[in-house]
Amino acid sequence: MLRFVTKRLISAVLVLFSISVLVFLIFFATPGVNPAARIAGRSASPATLKAVEATFGLNRPIPIRYGLMMYHLFIKQDLSSYVNIGDKVIPQITQAAPVTLSLVFGAAVLWMVFGVWAGVIAAKNRGRFIDPFIMFVGIAAVSIPAYWLGEVVQLITQTSLHSSVFHWVPSTGFTPLSQNPLQWAVHLLFPWLTLAVLYAGIYARVLRSEMVNAMNEDYIRTARAKGLSERRILYRHALRCSLIPIVSLFGLDIGALIGGSALLIEVVFGLPGVGMLTYNSLTNLDLPVIMGTVMYGAFFVVLASAVVDILYAVIDPRVRVVS
Amino acid sequence: MPDDILLRGTNIVKTFVLRGGAMGSKRVVTAVNGVDLEVRRGETFGIVGESGCGKSTLARCLVQLQPVTSGSIEFDGVDITTLSRRAMRPIRRNLQLVFQDPYASLNPRRTVGDIVADPMRVNKVGTKDEIMDRVGELFVLVGLDKSYLNRYPHEFSGGQRQRIGIARSLSLNPSLVIADEPVSALDVSVQAQVLNLMADLQEELQLTYVFIAHDLGVVRHVSDRVGVMYLGQMVEVGDADDLYDLPHHPYTEALLSVVPELNDTDAPKRERILISGDVPDPSDRPSGCSFHPRCPVATEKCKVETPTLVTLTTGRQVACHYPRNLSN
Amino acid sequence: MLSPESTPILEATDLKVSFSTRGGIIRAVDGLSFAVGAKETVGIVGESGSGKSVAMYTMLGLTRDANVSISGSVRFQGQEILGLSDTQMRPIRGGQIGMIFQDPMTALTPVYKVGWQIVEQLRAHTDLTKQQARARAIELLGEVGIPDPGRRVDSYPHEFSGGMRQRVVIAMALSCNPKLLIADEPTTALDVTTQAQILDLMTRLQENYGSSIIIITHDMGVIAEMADRVVVMYAGRPAEIGPEIDVVRNPQHPYTWGLLGAVPRTGVRTERLATIPGNAVTPLNVPEGCAFAPRCSFVMDQCATRPALHGDADHLNACWLSPAQKVELRGKVLRGEIDA
Repeated sequence: MLRFVTKRLISAVLVLFSISVLVFLIFFATPGVNPAARIAGRSASPATLKAVEATFGLNRPIPIRYGLMMYHLFIKQDLSSYVNIGDKVIPQITQAAPVTLSLVFGAAVLWMVFGVWAGVIAAKNRGRFIDPFIMFVGIAAVSIPAYWLGEVVQLITQTSLHSSVFHWVPSTGFTPLSQNPLQWAVHLLFPWLTLAVLYAGIYARVLRSEMVNAMNEDYIRTARAKGLSERRILYRHALRCSLIPIVSLFGLDIGALIGGSALLIEVVFGLPGVGMLTYNSLTNLDLPVIMGTVMYGAFFVVLASAVVDILYAVIDPRVRVVS
Repeated sequence: MPDDILLRGTNIVKTFVLRGGAMGSKRVVTAVNGVDLEVRRGETFGIVGESGCGKSTLARCLVQLQPVTSGSIEFDGVDITTLSRRAMRPIRRNLQLVFQDPYASLNPRRTVGDIVADPMRVNKVGTKDEIMDRVGELFVLVGLDKSYLNRYPHEFSGGQRQRIGIARSLSLNPSLVIADEPVSALDVSVQAQVLNLMADLQEELQLTYVFIAHDLGVVRHVSDRVGVMYLGQMVEVGDADDLYDLPHHPYTEALLSVVPELNDTDAPKRERILISGDVPDPSDRPSGCSFHPRCPVATEKCKVETPTLVTLTTGRQVACHYPRNLSN
Repeated sequence: MLSPESTPILEATDLKVSFSTRGGIIRAVDGLSFAVGAKETVGIVGESGSGKSVAMYTMLGLTRDANVSISGSVRFQGQEILGLSDTQMRPIRGGQIGMIFQDPMTALTPVYKVGWQIVEQLRAHTDLTKQQARARAIELLGEVGIPDPGRRVDSYPHEFSGGMRQRVVIAMALSCNPKLLIADEPTTALDVTTQAQILDLMTRLQENYGSSIIIITHDMGVIAEMADRVVVMYAGRPAEIGPEIDVVRNPQHPYTWGLLGAVPRTGVRTERLATIPGNAVTPLNVPEGCAFAPRCSFVMDQCATRPALHGDADHLNACWLSPAQKVELRGKVLRGEIDA
């Protein structure tokens, strides 16, 4: 098991390295672009360009340029975005990350609870009215674009009903958890719900179909023949086996969302997270920050998929390969 | 008489390299481990063995669906293991395979008429009309109504599908048909129909069969000669009736002794020899004789020395240091 | 039907199971009556679609289909169990009646250790503590011939071979000392040497535990090895019922002849196999009269009426042919001279 974990982590590091190389090549070694201008910013003075060229070794071979870039990005952490010279990339990301993490983990708790609950209820009541009803609500939740739902929620809670029902909803923004937990939660409540709606819909549908399949498996028949209660069969046998694919889905979704997929929700609700940062740097063509956020995103996606693989070995004994 | 031999395999070895799942560890599995066999023209050569003995892999090697790792396979005097794809083509027409699973081996999106006609179209034998006439003939030959030509595989029962598979394998007039568990997916009454059909076809078309199955009764019924496989090796080869009546290899003997038989005569039953344990993992083969850990008569010698397949004066071949039931 | 000295453990009377589908009504089981005596082994034989498995699952209340209708009576130790609620059935399932299934590869929940799964059943039916149940599980695994049971109790199902898994399933089925064991094709998925081990084990355990066994199979050889009495089923109906030796040596129903004659033997070379013309029955469109009539070579006018089970004492059959006709035709079929 330990060997497996080590191997999996090493391969994750290799993947991250490859991504960093690829991103670097795309942004700063594409033929026909002047990397100095990209880093220094539009209409920078010749002197600035010279300085940038020297700092990043832009007249030296590509591997060294890559090394210097990574050195400035990760070790010295003084790579700065050109638009507001002085704003460094890494601090911007570390500032934005807690916002995204708060958003994603809060939403994840909600969608797991609702998704699993709805999926189990639907599977349990297969053939009755409640099952197609839940599945219809699920497909509706999946189909509604999250940003549109976000805008509607904003419209209702911030404007049309803000003076009556939703007077307790604070204006958009973020309060750190460490500062005021209550304000943190209230600020994030509607973003959480909006994001969770989509994923709860997906999870409910996936879990329901997994459970329905599981209930037709031979081992469920064995469990019945053992004289177990329907409840125990449903939760200890069918649900336990159906959760295996859910866990892998969950890990990958979390990774992608922390990595920046929550961008639209952050923008709609004005949350200064990594998605917002990416959005702003994209509109400004702020390449150093874009590179930083892409690498940050890749880090979480790769990390999540490594964690999923390891978790898989924990929850599904068949994956623990006999060595 | 060497030209009496239609198919001769010499020291056929087939190994697979398995990359073990998430751990990425490599294992070499020797599925077929040095098999010699001779199939005479016009006979049915039965190959019997339990799951994992390598009989299906051997079948796929014999028709070159899978390349052998080493060894040679001579068909009608030509070593087909060294032939190019192009050079193999005319020979492949004479060498057909019937598959085990009548549900999986027919393309569900093509009509059964097309399925049977395809080999002829690919090999461009005859005009469109000639091919369709031939398909009709083949349907009659295997006992299916010609009116079924335009139906799809799912409209047929398991037995009928196996008839379609047989018709397809016969479409190019092969001289050798290799049947890999052709009846094991069928109910017993339907199995009997297909076995009888295969016997009739053999007589009518002078076919040579290699018939692979795990069912000992079926193999005795169809075969002139039988080879018994264990863990990738032939452990005993001989005339079907002799081999079943007087098995020499302890594995054959044990295998035959535990087949449940109908209780319809007062004749004494074979004494049951229960062998313990399971067939070992082919990637972790026991030393010496592969059967020794389960063999009731194994000695120290069997742990060390690998027995070779030797031919006795009776013509029986057996790979055992202590052959049983020898009359001397 | 049953020798008077033994009281039946299980007695099914006129069991009918049908499913209404879009294509029509499927009469999966249509008038099955049989009894199982104490310590007796009854074999139920038939091809796919004969309704043999459906009948067994229905008896245990395991047929869960909104479109099923069930009638008849099944008495277990004198108590009517057909129509009992799930809660009432639970102590019987797994407690008094154990089950063994066809495919040991899929019969166990893949994510739990085998010991856990046996303990689960023990704890559902007894007051054993966790430790006691685990000790019993280890004991059971040893009894069914699993080497090193103290260690293997903590293995997962996929770490066992097919034969070993079937032993685990058997250990589980026997864990609560059931009065009756229902084995649904317990060896079909196994190799012949493993089959021999499993059948041997079942016979030995039956002697130790004194359970009755119902074994469902398509293999007449397995019947010969195991069964005291046989029920031959065709299209959901019993075609012939009787002591194993009588059914095999003096078969009365043309379908039984076909089944017996179609089996290639290892002991003797069969020249020509008997066949039953046509395809295995589909339970949709079973005729009103004799179900076997469409495939039977000896069909007569009478066959338009469903024959009742009749015969001598405990050997019954459902065929209109006269005893003399049966003896004459049977020989020809079994020699493969004519179709059944």
